[in-house]
Amino acid sequence: MNNLIEFFRKNFHFFLFAVLLVVSLVMLGKSLAYSEYKFAKVFQSTVGPIQKSWSEMIHRFSLGQENEDLVRQNMALMREQSNMFMEKEDTVLSMMSETDSLHPKSVRLYDYTYAHVIYNTTDQAFNYIIIDKGQRDGICRDMAVTGPKGVVGVVSDVSNNFASIISILHPDSRISAIVSPINQVGTVVWESGDPSVAYLENIPQHLEINIGDSVLTSGYSNIFPKGLLVGTVKEVSVGKNASFLTIKVKLATDFKRLNTVYLIENLYKSELDTLKANFKDE
Amino acid sequence: MNNVLSNILRFAVVLVLQVFICSNIHLFGFATPALYLLALLLLPLELPKSVQYLIGFAAGFVVDMFAYTYGVNMAASLIVMFVRPYLVKLLNGRNTTEGVDRPVPGVKDTKWMFTYVIVLSFLHQFFVVMLEAHSFRHFGYSLMAIVADSVFTAFVLLCVLYIFYPARKTR
Repeated sequence: MNNLIEFFRKNFHFFLFAVLLVVSLVMLGKSLAYSEYKFAKVFQSTVGPIQKSWSEMIHRFSLGQENEDLVRQNMALMREQSNMFMEKEDTVLSMMSETDSLHPKSVRLYDYTYAHVIYNTTDQAFNYIIIDKGQRDGICRDMAVTGPKGVVGVVSDVSNNFASIISILHPDSRISAIVSPINQVGTVVWESGDPSVAYLENIPQHLEINIGDSVLTSGYSNIFPKGLLVGTVKEVSVGKNASFLTIKVKLATDFKRLNTVYLIENLYKSELDTLKANFKDE
Repeated sequence: MNNVLSNILRFAVVLVLQVFICSNIHLFGFATPALYLLALLLLPLELPKSVQYLIGFAAGFVVDMFAYTYGVNMAASLIVMFVRPYLVKLLNGRNTTEGVDRPVPGVKDTKWMFTYVIVLSFLHQFFVVMLEAHSFRHFGYSLMAIVADSVFTAFVLLCVLYIFYPARKTR
């Protein structure tokens, strides 16, 4: 017995090492599973405010006010683009619904707001972005997020003052997209590794895709409006799966330099979702 | 006592710099220096091993909390603290008594210093990158990141070390 205690005391540091290593690996393992993301929220609430004030300070050094004004002006212009509205025939039915003064026959379908990125990763297997606006600023789940250059991701979780975004650089993110000249619908997915390249799936092999073709959002998901740039085709090859092409897409957004993002809300999302809820699965 | 205080102060300064500045640097898109390794490498070697592990764990915890990479830096710096005494023993060779307490340029020669810093920063960055990627699928990309990170880290650490602990003129 004494020997055992002696042995333990002599090797105490080794046991401590093993225990601490196991603790850190368990933490790592838990943070990978999305359902355990709660765990991260505890940290987010303590560290978030510190990071926010820090990023505000950095912001002050980088022409913050000037930038802010331009962002607001941009937003006002983007709100008036045609893909924000749905066109309605001038019938009795449409006259009863609310109409916009500028476009008497069109109904606003999407609306914009903007936010600043306070946390962002690109080199991990699951990449998230956190922005400085939350529930109190009208952010809600499933809002679309775009940057100045192209699509960024979708809002996944909202707290009072912050919101987290699943960026395209996340295996769970699937964005419905079309290849520009031929308008064929596919899905943009990302596999871990290079943060500037994603894949466009479900494009049949007989179609002709050229390098440099634009990949745009399709607007079928009710999350993204139609026609936002996702990226451009970088490489086309015949995949292992014989019926589809393997298409590498160079993402338009530079995820490493993300500062201001625009959030797009589909004003009729709940209505569309109730319709979709009645779809039969298989 | 003075030594303890200066170590604590060093940790505070290095961790603040790491969390707010170094973690946000991505040279060439991916190379991020782990400056906080400096405080770990300068810990007195005669500290009990278990204390060293706890310190490494705590430092990694702070960095992880701000970087939202739970467990990655903890495990990596824990492993660094584990390997460090054995590396020092190996580097010292037969003359074990000579300046064991302070692994700084003034006490150790250039070759000793460079090996010490480069090996440990490579080890640290290897685990950081591999744990973050948690797969061998994109090994090429990971390898590139490991090399870039550890070269950058070692460079920064050696610069800081030689600026703040200048080597004395040869006896």
